[in-house]
Amino acid sequence: MSRILCIDDEPAILRLLEVVLKRDGHELVPAADARAALAALRDAPVDAILLDLGLPDRDGLELLAAIRAASTVPVIVVSARGEVREKVAALDLGAADYVTKPFDGDELLARLRAALRAADKAGSPGGILAHGTLRIDVPRHSVESAGQPVALTPKEFAVLKALVEAGGRVLTHSAILEVVWGKAHREDVEYLRVVIRALRLKLERDPAQPELIRNEPGIGYRLA
Amino acid sequence: MNRTATSSIEALIAVAAVAWLTSALQPVLGLASSALLFLLPVLLAATRGGIVPALVAVLAGAGAYNYFLLEPRFTLRVHELDNFISVIVLGAVALVTSRLATRLMTREAEANERARASTEAAALSSLLAAGSPAAALQDGLAFVAERYGPARLVDAADLARADTGLTSLDLSAAAWAIHNGDVTGHGTETLAAADWTFVPLAPRSRPDQVVLALAQPADGRVRRPVDLEQVSQLCLLLGQCRDRASLEAERIERERIETSDRLRRTFLASLAHDFRTPLTVIGGCLELLAPQSPVAAEALLAARRLDRMMGNLLEAARIDGGSLAVNLESLDPVDVIAAACDGLAPPAGVVLHRILPAELPFVRGDQVLLHHILANLLDNAARHARTRVTVSAAVETDRVVLRVEDDGPGVPAAERTRIFDRFSRIEGTDRSGGSGLGLAIVKGFADAMGVPVTVDERPGGGARFSLSLRLAAGASA
Repeated sequence: MSRILCIDDEPAILRLLEVVLKRDGHELVPAADARAALAALRDAPVDAILLDLGLPDRDGLELLAAIRAASTVPVIVVSARGEVREKVAALDLGAADYVTKPFDGDELLARLRAALRAADKAGSPGGILAHGTLRIDVPRHSVESAGQPVALTPKEFAVLKALVEAGGRVLTHSAILEVVWGKAHREDVEYLRVVIRALRLKLERDPAQPELIRNEPGIGYRLA
Repeated sequence: MNRTATSSIEALIAVAAVAWLTSALQPVLGLASSALLFLLPVLLAATRGGIVPALVAVLAGAGAYNYFLLEPRFTLRVHELDNFISVIVLGAVALVTSRLATRLMTREAEANERARASTEAAALSSLLAAGSPAAALQDGLAFVAERYGPARLVDAADLARADTGLTSLDLSAAAWAIHNGDVTGHGTETLAAADWTFVPLAPRSRPDQVVLALAQPADGRVRRPVDLEQVSQLCLLLGQCRDRASLEAERIERERIETSDRLRRTFLASLAHDFRTPLTVIGGCLELLAPQSPVAAEALLAARRLDRMMGNLLEAARIDGGSLAVNLESLDPVDVIAAACDGLAPPAGVVLHRILPAELPFVRGDQVLLHHILANLLDNAARHARTRVTVSAAVETDRVVLRVEDDGPGVPAAERTRIFDRFSRIEGTDRSGGSGLGLAIVKGFADAMGVPVTVDERPGGGARFSLSLRLAAGASA
């Protein structure tokens, strides 16, 4: 059971979230605005945060940056603003995920589980990463898919490692580019697309119908 | 001419005065001094009137000197050689002095002209620098018109209009001036028979689309080249001002669009928020009830449809704003199709098929817009299909064609253009709720990317929508 801080100025949404979260046994800590949210964070630690961007007292992205500056607790943005650049901005500010309203309860819970899992793993940088049938041995730079060794180039390995470490969360194009190619190449999405295609050819059952590496149009990639 | 005649008369009077003076004072002065005095009228005439009055003074002076002073007096006969020489010297002095004087006067006149021209240009410059560029340009035109006669601007678009009041010869001259950057028409060497003179506003190195039209002088004169040269200089100033005016107009227009775009975005964002918050609550609660109640499950579907419609309305509003940001980049068609298929939940009984070659070249497009287009086409196909929806990609010459097909009733040939209009429905076929906007958004987004989208009949019946995408730079089929 986890404590989830839900920041939304709409009481009906908070009540709905409470019912949804209870299905996975989570406890909801409500906050109607940014001030209440920061106060709640000071009072007691929480395991994850669901944040609505349209708050009465402060811009949601600002609050996100403030939370990120103070702690590493995963934040999932839950917003009616569905524009791609809004999502990218939130993810680049350190949001673990982005869910648009109206949301599907099961999907929200799945994303929350992924975020909590990734946060758990973050503290223990083990030498072996796993995702589904994928196993990555980081020190030895080797990858196995369903027990079969797969030969990857250094760039392919680095991209896959970043995606596996994210544990199903979306990584924005610029985030992957920055980690793998460096800050100067944040905008060179085409590099990434070429490597993603190469990875799919090596890892997917049917590279034309990818199931493992999912594309979020205009935002980035995540592992299914 | 006038000036020459006046100076000649003055010269004659001066010669007469010197003749009278020298003959009266001859016992005192002596011949040599008297002869020198006859230089004075020559110098005077040469400096004031140039060569002709000077020669008049020479001849009159020589004659008078000979007649009144030289022995035998009161005859025109010349006895001694030195007297003959004095006449020749007098003539030479007249010639040289007048040449020098003429040159000096020409230079002075030129300097005066230049000073006037630069004063005029400076006055126009300061006029053009004051106030808004558009108003200053009008003031500048009035300034030129006041000094050089009726003037107005003619641009390339005017050439095609019937109501310019210019003859066809004038229009040809204007076209020449616009395209070649030459001063053309009346008073020039090009199309001189025209009634107007056309002066470019930009230097010849970069001809502009506009020229100044200057009416021919009312008194039938032909303008001097030096005047046209001056008008050309003034026109360059007007041209700079006009460039500033158009930059200013562009800036204002851009600001206006940005402001309205910002307002619209804010409005749409709050609208979306205001609609989606209650929809979230409704949908969330129905989702909780749905497992137990078929009615709630039905209501949940309706709530989801309402949200899709909301999304479509917002997207249609973006197209209307004319500010749809298009970010063309190199895309993997597999990415685009996979994302669109992931988002599709086909109704029961309908299967989604993908037919994709293994190695598709990258294409050029906006990923987000292309995703919306495909998602809408798939949604449309899923709502009309009986048993299957097929999405396929194929390389055709230098393009990748994406196709979305269904085995539904298809689109009659007569409806194939209209179907992309808003709220158009084919009678009797729309069994399940589309918003009437989906295909209009497909068309709007495709147009924004410059991607042709068409609909025809699937072999075997049903609708087939095709998107023809250009290959990305560097990709090869």
